Amino acid sequence: MSDSIAIYVARYRPGQDEAPTEQRYDVPLSTDLSVLEALNYIKDELDPTLAYRWSCRMAICGSCGVMIDGEPRLGCKTFLREFADRGELHLRALDNFPVERDLIADVERFMDHLETVKPWTVHNSERPVSEGEYRQTPAELERYQQFSQCINCGLCYAACPQFGRDDSFLGPAALTLALRYNLDSRDDGSAGRMAALNADEGVWRCTFVGYCSEVCPKDVDPAQAVNRGKVASTINYGLNLLRLARGEHDT
Amino acid sequence: MTRKPYRAPQRWSWWLKNPAYRRYLLREATALPLFIYALVLVTGLYRYTQGQLAFTRWLEALQAPGWLVFHAVAVAACVLHAATWIELVPKLLVVPGISGRSIKRGHQVAALIGSALVLGAALVSWPLAGGAS
Repeated sequence: MSDSIAIYVARYRPGQDEAPTEQRYDVPLSTDLSVLEALNYIKDELDPTLAYRWSCRMAICGSCGVMIDGEPRLGCKTFLREFADRGELHLRALDNFPVERDLIADVERFMDHLETVKPWTVHNSERPVSEGEYRQTPAELERYQQFSQCINCGLCYAACPQFGRDDSFLGPAALTLALRYNLDSRDDGSAGRMAALNADEGVWRCTFVGYCSEVCPKDVDPAQAVNRGKVASTINYGLNLLRLARGEHDT
Repeated sequence: MTRKPYRAPQRWSWWLKNPAYRRYLLREATALPLFIYALVLVTGLYRYTQGQLAFTRWLEALQAPGWLVFHAVAVAACVLHAATWIELVPKLLVVPGISGRSIKRGHQVAALIGSALVLGAALVSWPLAGGAS
């Protein structure tokens, strides 16, 4: 194993560049060094102008997502030893988002979509605190627990060609969070979320590429969530037809 | 400071750069041979309504090497389509208490039995209907 590795970073400095261009940095190679730690090394020792996001270093905060050799991955969960044989790796900001600077993607669109699906427990009427907590059985928890592991890192958006084609698509994580709360026994907001799921920008924009689930660092399986959203949307459509046939209003 | 975010356009070749995207488009592309195969079958039905001679000519035309190759491609596309579809079923059909693996196996077995029954029915009814004569 060589004692250093070449890291090519797509630099984009909005004041001086028209488009990102790669810059090479040689970083000392050790088996326990993560890509994020390598970026910290570059920033501290080689080039203080390099911009990237990070926080927790343990795949919880979801900040350090970048394209590593063309794949959306977390910098803190990817180790340089994986690329040691080739002796190089290439980094760029997450695909399908505008690049703000260097490795920093502007994920504002994703945040907007997240808000659209109301990712919180909605209650039709608030209970007084004296009535105690909203309780749940282990079986009820099991129904949504997998989907609640999402850390909003945005890797699934970088993996989604439909979001890349048109970023009005609500996208994998927002639709997963919609299902997560719809499946929660304490939530009353599923009727309110159906409009977003049924809309042009909702579940039907997904063509089941499935790459979102492959890249998810928390095994959330957004492709499953989005496609279960299609089942829910179809049932909702049928129920609405019935309601309309009976002269009632649809929901 | 004013912002100037860089937006990379999605090029026509986006699907070439990642094996996951190539697999996805191959799966979607299986629809093309199946669509052509459906047209061939509809043409056969139409020829059938035109009488025995027209139908026999249609059958003979399909013996050409080009059509045999097409049928081989159509069968391969059909198998790939079915296999990839069944692979995705556990993501759509979630039944509490039954694992995704069992749901997948169930669909695979049902597809094999269903295909065997259809093939068996065709083989039995072919001579009864007078065969190729």
